[in-house]
Amino acid sequence: MIEIVNVSKWYGDIKVLDNVNETIKKGQVVVICGPSGSGKSTLLKTLNGLEPFQEGDIQVDGISFSDPKTDFMKLRQKMGMVFQRFELYPHMKVIENITIAPVKVLKQDKSRANKKAMALLERVGIPEQADKYPGNLSGGQQQRVAIARALAMEPDIMLFDEPTSALDPEMIKEVLDVMVDLAKSGMTMAVVTHEMGFAKEVADEIIFMDEGRIIERGTDKSFFENPKSERAKDFLRKILI
Amino acid sequence: MNFEWQVITHNFTFLMGGLVTTFELALIAIAGGLALGILVGMARLSNIKAIYYPATLFVNLMRTQPLILVIFWFYFFMPLVLGRPIGDFMSASIAFIIFEASYFAEIMRAGIQSISKGQVEAAYSTGFTYWQTMRYFIIPQALRNMLPSLITQGVVVFQDTSLAYVIGLREFLRSANVVDAREMRSVELYLFVGLVYFMVCFSMSRVCKRMELKKGNA
Amino acid sequence: MLAYDFKWSILWQDPYGGWILDGIATTIKLGVLCCFFSLLIGVIIGTFRITHYKPLRVFAEAYTEIFRDIPLLVQLFFWYFAIPTLFPENIRVWVYQEIPNFEFWVVVVGLSLYSSSRMAEQIRAGINSISADQFNAALSTGFSHYQAYRYVILPLAVRLVIPPLTTEILTVFKNTALAMTVGVLETTFMSQQVEAYTFHGLEATTAACVIYMIITLVVVGTMGWIEKILAVPGLITRKGARL
Repeated sequence: MIEIVNVSKWYGDIKVLDNVNETIKKGQVVVICGPSGSGKSTLLKTLNGLEPFQEGDIQVDGISFSDPKTDFMKLRQKMGMVFQRFELYPHMKVIENITIAPVKVLKQDKSRANKKAMALLERVGIPEQADKYPGNLSGGQQQRVAIARALAMEPDIMLFDEPTSALDPEMIKEVLDVMVDLAKSGMTMAVVTHEMGFAKEVADEIIFMDEGRIIERGTDKSFFENPKSERAKDFLRKILI
Repeated sequence: MNFEWQVITHNFTFLMGGLVTTFELALIAIAGGLALGILVGMARLSNIKAIYYPATLFVNLMRTQPLILVIFWFYFFMPLVLGRPIGDFMSASIAFIIFEASYFAEIMRAGIQSISKGQVEAAYSTGFTYWQTMRYFIIPQALRNMLPSLITQGVVVFQDTSLAYVIGLREFLRSANVVDAREMRSVELYLFVGLVYFMVCFSMSRVCKRMELKKGNA
Repeated sequence: MLAYDFKWSILWQDPYGGWILDGIATTIKLGVLCCFFSLLIGVIIGTFRITHYKPLRVFAEAYTEIFRDIPLLVQLFFWYFAIPTLFPENIRVWVYQEIPNFEFWVVVVGLSLYSSSRMAEQIRAGINSISADQFNAALSTGFSHYQAYRYVILPLAVRLVIPPLTTEILTVFKNTALAMTVGVLETTFMSQQVEAYTFHGLEATTAACVIYMIITLVVVGTMGWIEKILAVPGLITRKGARL
């Protein structure tokens, strides 16, 4: 479904992505981990065209990014993204956050969009917050709304950029539960995270990145129990205790 | 459209005399404004109502007034208080000091408040007294924080001195105006005035920017 | 203290009271016009300053720097005294004779341009304080750039920018006082006119001070009301809020 072929990216003189290759098949859950500055978030953002890159190509469902005719807007309608700082629109109610894209982009009519939004809020567990503003919600609640907002466009692929890093510890579980549920329902997901428990439970593949390069990849068992590279060993030691 | 730039060279001494007056007025206004401003700034931080309220009233009052009006006001007020007429430079100086003090006061108040409570608590917990804490930790840090704002306000004061024009003070702009009335070479003269002001203010703003960058890296 | 008999009644005596009222009307007209134009130009320059297109950005930065580093009075003198001398003889005559209140419009041009650079600065700061990911989030749901600006960025930016814009609007009204130097019959000019006829400078000038105080209160009150209408629960738009 997603093919990343020899992708490299520079910010000025700094190479932030170095010859990255990866395939993500339909229904797969891929977890990307690594130290800060390793390029994980940047890689994720190249997948839906938010970050351009100078070398290589990415293909999503056969559509190549290097094709000048590629309509990124249309592409992003099929890919949902969840951000570290939730990024809900603060001037709109929760329900409006979820319905605005389907109404303005997919031209759905409002009542249908509202119904679907309420169903999504039920799915993430907070239907009663529909008429509140994001500023009145806790972090965990905001992130779950963000997930519902991304799902409202009925994407084929969901991208998560460190979704729990900005949350207080007691709220991490409620968000991870939603993500596990999503994974088990067959959604194709690429998740940048340090939550190894999540990775162990649903990841089909784990990618370890450092300095813009994929250092190691493996299925969960092989990665956690027997990492091959020194860097990976070092990293796991630091975060797993 | 022929320009005659000699009007500037011919009257150069006269114009520079005006510029000197501008600098003099600016320096007095800045020095006086800073001195008075520190007092008012600290008064704005005081817990004593008799000190806090007058200071707050003063600052808020000054913010509603155009400087040009304040200059006129002191021009009429000072002779009443002193019982005798007063020169335009003196009257302008007083007006500037009092007006600019309110702006300096706010910068300094913000600067002192920007030092986090954590700093104060850390100092106290190591055994320092209030005045020691102020002297070794709060004031040095606050000064470093507010220096760019203080310099920017200094630049504003420098530009504001042009307003003393209205009471006839022979500062830089008025000097150019006098020459213009005689020689009718407005474009050259006012471009020159603008250029000189620009050079002074622009270089000061560069100094500020560099300071801010260094602060960011500290 | 020098013996001085205060005579506050001159303020409402005919014709002095009428002059002061005319002055207030001119100040308000001048203030409103300049706020309108400077906001308009300020939004354009502000957008130029954050655009990716280098020539526009450099132009906008130079624009801001020039208007900021030269005193407003110098700029007004330049527009009023210097610019007309550049016109050929017949246009200059036409300008001085056919345009009523030439000095009023000169101040509108000069003050609007000066204030526009300050407005642009506040607008730029407001838009910059919105995190890049807010824009990314909008794009990631399939919005076009235009839609992201229209539904997410601009509504947010407007709310963020109202407090600093209030200060700038006040500054515009205060700066209208400089128009007196080129003969515009606004509040400050009229107060000095009253002084010239009655020699009661302190009363006349104090009256003008009170008038500017009232103008400030009205502007602050109006902007506060606008802020209240647009406010959204949980959104902090004062300094220190992270978005």
